[in-house]
Amino acid sequence: MFRSSISWRVLGAVCLAIVIGACSSTPGGSGGGATGTISVYSALNESTNNAFIEAFQKAYPNIKVDILPLAAAGELQTRIRTEKSAPKADIFIGGSSEFHDPLGTEGLLVPYQSPNAKDVDAKFKDAAGNWTGWYIGIFGIALNKDRFAKEAAGKAKPTTWDDLLDASYKGKIDVPDPVKTGGGYIFLATQVFRFGGDEAKALDYMKKLNVNVGQYVGTSPQGIELVSQGQFLMGPNWGHDILTAAKKGAPIEFVAPSDTANEVGAISIIKGGPNTEAAKSFVDWVLTKEAGALNVSLSNRLSVRTDVPPAAGAPTLDQVKLVAYDRAWATANKDRLIKAWQAAIGQ
Amino acid sequence: MRAFRREPRLGILVVLLVALMAIFIVVPQVAVIVTPGPSGYVNFFREGPNWLLAARNSLVVMVLSTTTAVALGFCYAYAIVYSQMRWKPFFRLIAILPMLSPPFVVAASYILLFGPRGLITYGVFGTSPNILGLFGLWGVQTIAFFPYAYQLIADVLSRSDPRLEQAARNLGAGPFEVFRTVTLPLARPGLVGAILLVAIYVLEDFGNPALIAGQYTVLPTLAYGLISGFGDLAGAAVVSTILLLFALTLYVTRSRLVGRGSVVTVGGRGSSIPRPPVPRSVTWASFGICLVLAGLIIMVYGVLVLSAFVSAYPFDFSLTLKHFGYVGAHVTSLRNSLTFAVIASVVCSFFAVLLAYTVQRKEWTGRRIVAFLAIAPAAIPGIFFGIGYATAFNQAWLSWLDRGALITISMIAWNIPVGYQAATASLQQIDRSIDEAATSMGASSLQAFRHVLFPILRGAFATGMITAFVRAITTLSVVIFLFTPSTVVTTITIFQLVNDFNWGGATAFTVSVIGMAIAVVILMSRLTGRRVRVEVASV
Repeated sequence: MFRSSISWRVLGAVCLAIVIGACSSTPGGSGGGATGTISVYSALNESTNNAFIEAFQKAYPNIKVDILPLAAAGELQTRIRTEKSAPKADIFIGGSSEFHDPLGTEGLLVPYQSPNAKDVDAKFKDAAGNWTGWYIGIFGIALNKDRFAKEAAGKAKPTTWDDLLDASYKGKIDVPDPVKTGGGYIFLATQVFRFGGDEAKALDYMKKLNVNVGQYVGTSPQGIELVSQGQFLMGPNWGHDILTAAKKGAPIEFVAPSDTANEVGAISIIKGGPNTEAAKSFVDWVLTKEAGALNVSLSNRLSVRTDVPPAAGAPTLDQVKLVAYDRAWATANKDRLIKAWQAAIGQ
Repeated sequence: MRAFRREPRLGILVVLLVALMAIFIVVPQVAVIVTPGPSGYVNFFREGPNWLLAARNSLVVMVLSTTTAVALGFCYAYAIVYSQMRWKPFFRLIAILPMLSPPFVVAASYILLFGPRGLITYGVFGTSPNILGLFGLWGVQTIAFFPYAYQLIADVLSRSDPRLEQAARNLGAGPFEVFRTVTLPLARPGLVGAILLVAIYVLEDFGNPALIAGQYTVLPTLAYGLISGFGDLAGAAVVSTILLLFALTLYVTRSRLVGRGSVVTVGGRGSSIPRPPVPRSVTWASFGICLVLAGLIIMVYGVLVLSAFVSAYPFDFSLTLKHFGYVGAHVTSLRNSLTFAVIASVVCSFFAVLLAYTVQRKEWTGRRIVAFLAIAPAAIPGIFFGIGYATAFNQAWLSWLDRGALITISMIAWNIPVGYQAATASLQQIDRSIDEAATSMGASSLQAFRHVLFPILRGAFATGMITAFVRAITTLSVVIFLFTPSTVVTTITIFQLVNDFNWGGATAFTVSVIGMAIAVVILMSRLTGRRVRVEVASV
């Protein structure tokens, strides 16, 4: 009356999960020198990755690249931490040096002084060689040209952070949330450095700005997207991303106010990865003039190399007035400063 | 326990189920909980971010959204099961759409429609409301999660016995009285299950708050921000643990609310008697509500379709197919997603129904803990589910474990709650005497399950499978720490395209994913739920 085999079939179904494709996939060992396959964790943009890797493989035909693209440096940093008992990647490329530095401190990176790093200014690289900076991103303001022409006719475009306090911008500005985004926190810390470390003045500025802020957005790219759509008139954000969006047809432009900040995009080698030798070749190549110029043309960021010209519309470091940004202080005082900011804007 | 000695096979099954839950739910979660270490917890509560504010916000959104989503889900389910309104197959399909919301893209569509310069708000009404914040989030979460409530409640309603209502009518009760005294109590297991599930899903959701909530920080966006903005894994793990405690509280509260033995039991298979007709006014009201909801959903997804086919929405509306080039370029991720999600959903729903059966129908020590474990994954933000897996299973000695298989397993474990809730709600409706009849005639428990209960539970099985499938195919956060170059999935591709300001490419890809997913869902419901569907349609 009842077939008895069925319980085993049900068991089989439950176990299927474990059985499916339990095939081994041991990564190929390093074949001596610069050959084999390297695994790259890339925080660069989708449109940059492919062309970048293609150019590398032309220069180093013996090295194959497996790229894991994820335009979110914090996630990649977390991945590298969670994978530390069996590292899957050789290279961590892209993202501000703040995301590489702690990994070096925790001993998860291989110190490497590339011969090509001699062309990189000391302030753009780690003294211990854990990471090397290779591009620069400048913080600035994304501005919707169409809306600005219509609603702020006759007004000058903002040239200082204080210009954002104009009463006519009420509710028309979006800012990356300092609690949730790296860019938002850099914006907040920039105000402190701009007032020579006077936190009260900085918080007073943020409080006044709060009146004009229509939205603190949860991710930096979203801030640019909303300005592009005209949902907001303008907002502080990353210059290279603003230029990238503008080149895709969005009616926005990048304005770099004085006393702004920058990030140093880094590359590092992960300790215990499948192919450390070939990874070194990759770092060497990324620090060349050719790679620097390619990245500038693909992502609109600046190269750390003085012999690579900036992208069209992008200011160079000596054209903008940078604030004296103390990265160590900003990192150490993050939680406290964010809480003070939350209190200042009554959140 | 004595039952196991009598039926060793049942015992083995229970041991296996418990072992699998321990390995794939408990171990990874413990890995997350211990990540910060004692000093991590101390630091977090002493000088960490303002988590109390985020916790309060989370609770406010949870209460508001759960109330409206479950109310709406109930109306929708009632309309589909009871009313004589037209276009039921259409409405049934439309309710799947909000579950098919790949991260970022659908939330962005709401802003395009209802933002300060939205197509509707500014374009049609000339107003610039600020929907980003609590109210926008409330609205979006209501639409996003009412389908879960609808699915669970409809499943329960459609299996309730029409004879009970017919009898009440014959005894002189009016339509409203029948609704209040018969229909509503019959729907109670579904309602309670829906409230718990929706509440927990709202609590853990990251995608919508990230784009819609603005500075209205909730716990998952706080945790995510700690990782993506600051690389603070320890702090984020503390937030995840707080969320887990909230879920535990909800679960305990529910158990208190339901109590034991308060459930109406029904003879499993429905009779051929039709349901008593509902008043015409109710049918029309049902139709109206469903139409408004469907209209809203179509608008939101319409913007995506439009964006996919024009050059650069909203700046250049010339028609083009160029964005679909990205679909061809990322065909691997489509194939991966499809493979992982189909396998995961089938295994997951089998597992969930079997688990619900052993927990609900058999007495054994520790089954209440297992019952909590079956619902706990819903409360774990996807990102921590992924982090837990990456931490626990990325070991040198496990290097033989295929990453695709691991991703599939994580999707199975993460999605057990829906299938489990659906099966539990159904089992509570089915009189024990039905399976007892089988066992007293000499069948083993498992045979009774296979031949008697499982056919009745087919609706719950289908609900669990479809929901697991759509959730698996639309999750970004679970896979973000697990995928490898060869196991990229669709949501990663969409994430990349959105962050590269490639709205056209992102929407073209999303539309393709949704189209593919709808095809699979239709196929699944054809294969599993045909009798249920026909039954419902013939009402």
